[in-house]
Order: sequence, then C-alpha cells, then structure tokens
Amino acid sequence: MTTTKALHTEEFLVNMGPHHPSTHGVCRFLLTMDGEVVVKAVPYIGYLHRALEKICENRTYPQCLPILDRFEYCTSMSCEYAFCLATEKLAGIQAPERAEYLRVIMLELNRIASHLIWFGTTSLDLGAITPFLYGFREREDILDLFEMTCGQRLTYNYIRIGGVSRDVPPEFIPKAKEFLDKFPAKIEDYVKLLNENPIWMIRNQNVGILPREMALSYGVSGPVLRASGIKFDIRKDDPYSIYDRFDFNIPTGKVGDCYDRYLLRIEEMRQSSRIVRQALEQLPSGEIKTKVSANFKPPKGEVYSRIENSRGEMGIYIQSPGDSKKPLRVKMRGGSYNHLQVMPEIVKGGKIADLVAVMASMDIIMPEVDR
Amino acid sequence: MDRTELTKYLLDRFSDKLQLLDTGKAEPVFILKAENLLEFCRTIKADDTLAIDFLCNIAAVDTGDLFEIVYSVASTKNRIRFDFKITMPYENAEIDSIQEFWAGANWHEREVWELFGINIRNHGNLTRFLLPDDWNQGFPMRKNWDAPDFVRMPEL
Amino acid sequence: MEIAGIFKYLYEMLAKSGLPQLAVDLIALVASALIVFTFLAVTALFLVWWERKVSAHIQQRFGPMRTGWHGWLQTIVDMIKLIQKEDITPATADRPVFFWAPIIALTAAFTAYVVMPFGKGLIVSDLNIGILFIIAITTFTIISLLMAGWGSNNKYALLGGMRSAAQVVSYEVPMVVAVLSVVLFAGSMSMMDIVNSQAKIYQWYIFRLPFGPIAFMIYLIAGTAESNRTPFDLPEAEQELVAGFNVEYSGMKFAMFFFAEFVNLFTISAIAATLFLGGWQGPFLPSWMWFMIKTLFIVFVLMWFRWTYPRLRVDQLMEFSWKFLLPISFANLIIAGFMKYSRWFNW
Repeated sequence: MTTTKALHTEEFLVNMGPHHPSTHGVCRFLLTMDGEVVVKAVPYIGYLHRALEKICENRTYPQCLPILDRFEYCTSMSCEYAFCLATEKLAGIQAPERAEYLRVIMLELNRIASHLIWFGTTSLDLGAITPFLYGFREREDILDLFEMTCGQRLTYNYIRIGGVSRDVPPEFIPKAKEFLDKFPAKIEDYVKLLNENPIWMIRNQNVGILPREMALSYGVSGPVLRASGIKFDIRKDDPYSIYDRFDFNIPTGKVGDCYDRYLLRIEEMRQSSRIVRQALEQLPSGEIKTKVSANFKPPKGEVYSRIENSRGEMGIYIQSPGDSKKPLRVKMRGGSYNHLQVMPEIVKGGKIADLVAVMASMDIIMPEVDR
Repeated sequence: MDRTELTKYLLDRFSDKLQLLDTGKAEPVFILKAENLLEFCRTIKADDTLAIDFLCNIAAVDTGDLFEIVYSVASTKNRIRFDFKITMPYENAEIDSIQEFWAGANWHEREVWELFGINIRNHGNLTRFLLPDDWNQGFPMRKNWDAPDFVRMPEL
Repeated sequence: MEIAGIFKYLYEMLAKSGLPQLAVDLIALVASALIVFTFLAVTALFLVWWERKVSAHIQQRFGPMRTGWHGWLQTIVDMIKLIQKEDITPATADRPVFFWAPIIALTAAFTAYVVMPFGKGLIVSDLNIGILFIIAITTFTIISLLMAGWGSNNKYALLGGMRSAAQVVSYEVPMVVAVLSVVLFAGSMSMMDIVNSQAKIYQWYIFRLPFGPIAFMIYLIAGTAESNRTPFDLPEAEQELVAGFNVEYSGMKFAMFFFAEFVNLFTISAIAATLFLGGWQGPFLPSWMWFMIKTLFIVFVLMWFRWTYPRLRVDQLMEFSWKFLLPISFANLIIAGFMKYSRWFNW
C-alpha cells in the first residue's frame, strides 16, 4: 500500500458459497478481499452434517458399519476397517489370515481410487479438464474389481467385524493383476502431461506453503503432513493389520507447497500398487471371517484406534458400556477436519485462485468434516 | 517404548495427577483431574522422552451419570500414543482450552461445546458451526436430549 | 473463376443492369454482407460441433452421438433451445448497456471478415489497410466485455468483465508487434498483397527464419488470449469464483456471446493462416479449399491447447504478456527489420 494519495480502495466481502463447482462437497467460505488478494477466509461448515455419531449410538455394532461407510464415502473401505479395528481391539477378536490379506488389498485399492479422484478434481480445478477423465477411466477398473467382490461401487459394507463378508471370486486375481500391469504406464501418462508443464508448476509451486510446526500443531496428518517434511505414516510408525509384512516406501516432501503434495500423492499411488501386488502374491487360503456371535456385546472399555487413510489419519473412538449391543459413544475423526481448520492460515495473503488450488491439493472432502 | 514402559513412565512422572484406567486392551487410558489439565499438557509437550506434538482427537462422552472428555495424544518422534480423560458432573460442566499447546484443538473443542454444552474457558470463538445458525433445540449429543422426530431403536 | 473482390464484382454486375445508383449500392452491400454472414453462421455451427468432438476424443469419450450422424445436428438443436429460452434482464441492470453489449460483440466479430481473403479474389473488399482494419475492429470486443460487465449490475460480472478487458488489452500489444514484423516484410497492409507475397511454399512467413516462427508463436499465444481460451480463460472459468462477464445473460443474448466467441476463434486462425501459412496459396485444390484447410488446422491446434493445459492465474497471465511476450516481440521486430534491410533472406 502506498502512502501517497493513491486511489481509495476498500476491502469487500465475497461469499464462496456452498454451491460451487470447485469446493469439494458443500463448504462455504466468507472471504474478505482486497482486490485479488484474500485478507481473511472464514470457513462455514455443517451443510453435510448427518449426525452419524448420534445414529451410531442407536445401532448395534454390525449395524454401525453401513453408517461408517458413509462417513467418508470416497474411501469407504478405510472407514469400515477403522471401526472394525477398534471393535476387534475392544473385544479381543483376531481376524483370520486370509481376511487380513483381503482387507489390505481392498484398502490399498481404495487408496488408489481415492487418489485418482483427487488427481481428477485437482486438475479440473486448475483448468486442465482432460486428466479428470483419464483418472476416472482408471478408477472404473478398480470399481469393477469392487463390484465383482461385493456388488457395490461406492459404499461397500464389505469389511465386517472379524473379517470380510465374502470371498473374492476366482476372476478377481487375474483381473487385479491385469490392472496393476497397466497402471504404471497410465501414471507415466499423467506425469508426462502435468509434472513438467510450466503452467502447472507456476500454479502449484510456492503456493499454499504449510510450515512444519504449524502442520504438527494443527493436527495435520497424512500426505499433507508428509509434504511438509515430517516422515510419519501410521502404516509404518504405528502399524496395524499386516502392513509390517510388506515392503513399501514413504515419500516425503520438502517445502510443503501444492506441488510437493501433488508429487507425493502420485508416488503414493505407485507404492500402493506395490503393496497390492505383494499381497496378491502372498494371499493364503483359509477362512474369511471369525465367528462373531449374533448377540455381540464387547466388554466394558474404550479404545481409540487410528489408521492411515488416503486423506490423513482416520481415528475412531469407541466407548462400550459392556452389557449392551450398542456402543455408548462413537467418535469419528477424519483428516480433512484438521486440514480445513488450517486452511485459513495458509491462504491468507494469497490470491483467490490460490485458495482453489490449495483446497484441491489438500484433498479436503466435506463428509469427513461434517459427518 | 511399548505400553508397559509408557504406563510406568507416566505413572512415575505424574503420580499425583494421573490414575490408570487400563482395561489392557489397546493404548493406556488415564484419568486426570480437571485442574491439572493445563500443567499436564505443558509438561507432556515439553518432556523429551514423551515429546507429544500431535493431538489426535478430543471426544466428549455422556455416560449417563457424568460427562467425560477424552483426549487422545501421540508423538510423531517417539512411537507413543495414549489417552487421558477428565470426568465432570453435568452441572456447570466446563474445562480449559488447550489450544495454546496444539492449535488443532480449536475446532474439536468448539464441537464439544456445540453438541454437548460443555463450556470451554478461554476459547475465543464458541460459535455454531455444525448445527444450523438458528438452532435452539438444546445439545443433541446428550443422552437426555429428545426431539419429536428422534426415534430410539428398540433393543433386539 | 477470377473475382477481384466480391463487392466490386457485384457492384459492376448490378451497374451494368441499369438500376438506379442507390439500388445498386444497397443491393451490392446487402448481398455481400449476407454472403459473409451465411458463411460465418455455418462455420460457427460447424466449429461448435467440432470443438465438442475434438474435446471428447481427447478425453477418451464420444461426444454428441445421438442428434444426427455423430451428432452433427447438435449445434442446431442447441441454438433452437437457446432461442426459445426466456430472455431475462436483471431488474437493476443498466438496460441500454446490457442490451447493446452482445450486439456490439457480434458486430465487431463479423466486421473483421470484410477484408478476409477466402480465396483467389474471394474477398469482400481489398482495403489497402487490411490487417490494420482487422486489428482495429477486434478491439471493439473489449468495449463489449466492459459493457456486459457493467450493465449486469453484478459484482462478479463486473470483476470478470474487467479481468477480461485487462487480459485482451495486454495481449493486443505483442500480437500487433508480431503482425507488424510480417507487414514489414510484405511491404503492404493489404491482405491480398500479403498472400501474394507468399507465392511459393518456401516464401511462407512461418518458414522465414529466424523471425517467422517466433512471430507465429507469439501471434498464436496472443490470439489464444484474445479469444479468452484456455490457458487464458480465467475470466470465464467455471471453477473460479467469478463466472465471467456473461453470467447474467440468458437465451439469445448468451447465444450471441457464444457465437461471437467462436467467430473470433475462426478470425484468429484465419489471420494466422493468411499471414504465416500462405493464405489460399496451394497446388491442385481450389484456393478456398486451401484456405479452409489451413484455417481449420490452426483451429484444431487451438482446441488442442484448450484441452491439454491448465489455466494461468490472472497475475501470471499479465506478467507473461508484459514481461515476456512483449520484449520478445520487439526483439523479433528488430530482427525482421534487419533482415529486410540487409536483403539476406529476401528470397
């Protein structure tokens, strides 16, 4: 701002309303702008609040699983698995080997599918419309695999307490291997299209930098935390299921800008393919579900268990009263909740086009925030 | 450090403030008194063996007799994760805000206030966000909350 | 068939028939305008369909398939739909400004075709200030953008209109300087003369290194920005906050803006083909066919850009024009001048 008698300018309020093609889900921002520059951004949430936690208090444990599906519908398998992990810890149930392998395969395939959604919507937000369709073309193959197994494409109700609900059909493994064989070439296509593209780089580099200390303080997790330089992945640092049997790398970023987050998630897709390939090779035969009684009543206790979702740390806190089929309290914690909380801090002083880029690169979706 | 070492360390360090409520299941759970909250948080953040730099979750529970607020914390440097909780009666339920230690607590506490009615001291921004702006039907997550269209499912 | 100017041809033919002078003038004028208008209407319809097909195939899908063979009737159907929509003017809008904005946009787009050489002698009027006329007329679109933004009485439309206008003005300058280097070589601003100076394929200005390809690329980039296409389509982007200057327009008025955009696209490509690729010159095929082939090739390249690249942010866009394109175009002009003066590459 000059101190000479410049033109009188005022800040004005702009509403980036809940209906908007680029906010991922229904989220409203009230922006105070000085020309093109965002001075303050206040998020308003609650447009997708479905009171899932209250509903879960009113359902038995197996009945809660479809509710958890809808907690974060882009990665339904992870939500169900988080709940099953917590319940199994409470009740001391151990799922059989084959079930654990199938769970890992489904979780990682779901992670790839979720990252493909992220890839498509991020490119779409920045104006490159074509990668959106390429990402969804690959996702169709994964959804075919899911449909073959459990009949559903989005909310699966597949991972159950004690195992999985049904075994994979015989054509699953060859089809999955076929997908894994052609997937690296497709990732190379995406990389060639966008990575070195100068427009992509200047839209994403040094935009939305999230410093390390701020990231930790705000509870940011998952790819966003790793892009800021902290090498922390719950699959390696607080392992659950059988992830310690697989060999995979954890990519880490340096600067914490949108470009780092983009590169990191592309690399994560490759690593997830590695895990699925190893799991398919090691898949043992056997039971797919431990018998859980129809009157399943876990003993009194409480547990908070967390898993590494594609969007960050997904945690489920369950408190069980001991003598009831229904949980006393189910608290769901999603990664996007904290990411949306930190967003106003990192878009301050940037342009409005950068807000769109940051929201896309942090992969925030509203069902996780609002529940 | 694994859970037995962690439990031992915490009980030794904070013997007067913490009380173990361990069901042997997963990570250890401790009970803390409300007045020790801020001091405890400051210490576990500054302590080198613990180095708790990550607040995972704040959950409020209505057990029918009391309110409980459960804090789940973790450390990204040392592989540590534990929970601690504070119980309080229904009348005048309030707690201090811990957002000076972990800024991510801001929205979690705001949600606790909005859905349970537990007052958070020194928060600074206790406004509605999940529920509609003109909500006047009480605190929905309490067990004694009722509404005309709220149907309790029967015990099967 | 050798026609030295369509208007001149019609005028002479009618003058011989003995009608009064006024009637001869009027009929010749109206007939030429109608010929151009019809040609452009058909071309714009074709281009809209082609854009949808090209984008669909780049994105691995089919595009319109149901309305006619491979959807060729789709544009006509869309036009019918737009015509029968209610024409809404916002209550607080500035009525005359709101009304005239699309008309000015369309008029400016069409008027540029007065000097477009469609083929050997197939030009409405070979003004000796040909290319200058086109550049001057296409700047009228800026006025229509600002009018649309102002007349809508909508904060977002105004912002979008102003951004659009700023972008178009910024990219005019390097475009004009690139065109100037070609005019320098041709020695004349008349479109026919420029085409005639590219009689052999090695004389095409795009091949006259080193200034030719650089001028061509600058022209193409600036032309993309002029017609508000990706990667410079921030003012129109649906994913950004402001949907652009035409957010309040519906029905036929919106159709006029849409139409004007595609006519502009064709203009940019036609000028690129004329100035750099030899216009209607070419063996075997009739001259107008060569013109169409070359122009449609450039149109295809511009469409290819749109569906490949992400879009630039507004300050990056301006920076690119003023700090990068403009200095290069000036340097290019100096090189062209040197080449012309030294008669080295003057084949």
